Amino acid sequence: MRSLAIAAVNLRRFARQRANLFFVLVLPLLIVAMLGLVFGATDVDLGVVQRSGGPLAEQLSDDLGATEDLAVVRYEDESALERAVQRGRVEAGLVVPDDYTAVLEAGGTATVRWIARPGTASIQLRQAVEAAVARQGTVLRAARFVAAEQGGDVESRLAAAATVAAAVPGVDVEVRPADETVAAGDLGQFDLGAATQLVLFVFLTSLFGAPTLIEVRRLGLSRRMLSTPTRHLQVLLGESLGRLAIALVQAAIIVVGSALLFGVAWGSPPAAAAIVACFALVGASFAMLLGSALSSDQQAGALALVLGLGLAALGGSMVPLEVFPDRVRTIAHVTPHAWANDAFAEVLRHGGGLVDVLAPLAVLLAYAAVVFSLAAWFFRRAVTG
Amino acid sequence: MSAAPVLVCTGLVKRFGDLVAVDGVGFEISPGETYGLLGPNGAGKTTTISMVCGLLERDDGDVVVAGRPLTTTSVEAKAAIGYVPQEIAVYPDLTGRENLRFFSRLYGMAPAAATERIGEALEVVGLADRADDLAGEYSGGMKRRLNIAIGLLHRPRLLVLDEPTVGVDPQSRNAILEGVEALAGGGIAVLYTTHYMEEAERLCDRIGIIDAGVIRAEGTRRELVALVGERDRVRLAGSGDLASVATACGALPGVEAASVRDGAVDLIVEGARGLLPELLRVAAESGGLVDGVDVHEPDLESVFLHLTGKALRD
Ligand SMILES: Nc1ncnc2c1ncn2[C@@H]1O[C@H](COP(=O)(O)OP(=O)(O)OP(=O)(O)O)[C@@H](O)[C@H]1O
Ligand SMILES: [Mg+2]
Repeated sequence: MRSLAIAAVNLRRFARQRANLFFVLVLPLLIVAMLGLVFGATDVDLGVVQRSGGPLAEQLSDDLGATEDLAVVRYEDESALERAVQRGRVEAGLVVPDDYTAVLEAGGTATVRWIARPGTASIQLRQAVEAAVARQGTVLRAARFVAAEQGGDVESRLAAAATVAAAVPGVDVEVRPADETVAAGDLGQFDLGAATQLVLFVFLTSLFGAPTLIEVRRLGLSRRMLSTPTRHLQVLLGESLGRLAIALVQAAIIVVGSALLFGVAWGSPPAAAAIVACFALVGASFAMLLGSALSSDQQAGALALVLGLGLAALGGSMVPLEVFPDRVRTIAHVTPHAWANDAFAEVLRHGGGLVDVLAPLAVLLAYAAVVFSLAAWFFRRAVTG
Repeated sequence: MSAAPVLVCTGLVKRFGDLVAVDGVGFEISPGETYGLLGPNGAGKTTTISMVCGLLERDDGDVVVAGRPLTTTSVEAKAAIGYVPQEIAVYPDLTGRENLRFFSRLYGMAPAAATERIGEALEVVGLADRADDLAGEYSGGMKRRLNIAIGLLHRPRLLVLDEPTVGVDPQSRNAILEGVEALAGGGIAVLYTTHYMEEAERLCDRIGIIDAGVIRAEGTRRELVALVGERDRVRLAGSGDLASVATACGALPGVEAASVRDGAVDLIVEGARGLLPELLRVAAESGGLVDGVDVHEPDLESVFLHLTGKALRD
């Protein structure tokens, strides 16, 4: 109750300053625009070589062409496609063999070739293609199944078979990088961009609760609060709740804004919300620690900036954790950012839901608890000597 | 004063490193009584008050407020105290009323009762017509009055005021003093610190004279003044080398204390009438140009000078 009163006053004072309106509304919108430009869903060109692969190959091309945000560009032969990929005219290329339909209808496994440049956003594209191929594979498998049971030819049963699920696709994708020097495994990072930026921003903005707390201390107000029947933990909790609310509003603007306006993907909503909330809790706790341990708000502001950017860099919000050597990646997990980024990776890459990120969320909550306790100790020392 | 005391503190000690800021301070305050801590800058008034209010970890001693022991972690016991800090502690970007509303919530007051009490507190300090202006836009005196209103809000049994009139114009000061008198008349116990002798004389039923962390003497004004005995306070106003004048006069037999303050030499002497010619002669010889002489009956200023050999203010 008392904490809520403190949080409410904190927010009321925040809202009274015009400059803060920029901070809480305009800044997130700028970030939305930035995320939209960099990570938003725009049509991606896919080069396809498909000369006489038969009806199933045509169907695959059509399916790809109908995929949202994806445009198919036909090429005559493989070498032309490779050149186009290398020069960046298309994002990636797919080669469908001439015997595609024949092999599949004979019950064999057809192999399509995937050509990509390293260092591009082609991973999402590849997922789209794999999905299309798998769809067809699933349907074919089922078609074969139906043909074997009931007789008749495969083609005539395809439509009916679309409703039957089968686990193993009949088509393999063979990956071949356009540039030999980089292996295909390196291409897994781009989909995380928006999330890692959000993590950076939420933490940074939370940390700016530190100068606010120092101001309240300097005005003699936290001391005065302690002269009332209010515990020091309640005071600190109230101040951090105020800051938490601000950070959450900003995060909500960024997530919802970028998703609606630019189609940026954030994965399962409950999972994403939980990650942001737990992580912002860590940020607010850090703010209380700085605000209790330091006594100059300029110092706190400077340190907030250094910590906010430094931890973000180490924690994989500037350069993806995947490119770090193993040992550095281990060390990176001293930052809360690494855990939040891991959680987002689980949600965005593997379609994880809330239950799949409980472990990193628990780590974040523990982190917040430890930092908040430390902050409480410093706060008490600072106010009651 | 037969009622149980609202505040009992005993043997309070606070050290800051090597400095013993408060060294064994203790006193009691009964309901309706105003107790003054009178002492110069750095005497340990604020440090004492902070320990009384549970805002400062103490190195020794006990505090009991309204029958409950009180420490920095006490919660219930603090509800009995209204604390008005020496520095103005209000939110400058909230209105007076909003400041009061906020603290009413921290005191756990129900909203309806709070509204009523906020109105009353604003009346007591004379801020009712400016209640909805931002506190940051108040004059210094108005900020002080808001500072006090917050401490009154929940009708505390013990009101603690730490130099509430510092930097206030005479009119505001008078309003504040009248307010405190009215509250004490209403039965609350008041702990009041000041280094203004006149305030202590006017307001306080009992006064503790504190210097260097120790209460040198305690009692009613009459009791304290009796300590000085038949001594008078002589004030030699003038120019020239007043420091030498003080030293030379201080060495005379019959002179108990001498100090320089506000362009004058303050002396505590036994039998002013007989000593005056001698004092003026010594003053002239040691380079002072005396252009005015005052002889006072003893007051708290003289008591302080008598007890510590120093003026209350320098
Ligand atoms: N936090 C602190 N750290 C170190 N020394 C302190 C601290 N607080 C007070 N002191 C010292 O303790 C002594 C008593 O200070 P205190 O503030 O209690 O005096 P005061 O009687 O209230 O003076 P004033 O009339 O100026 O308000 C002073 O010498 C002061 O410098
Ligand atoms: Mg003081």
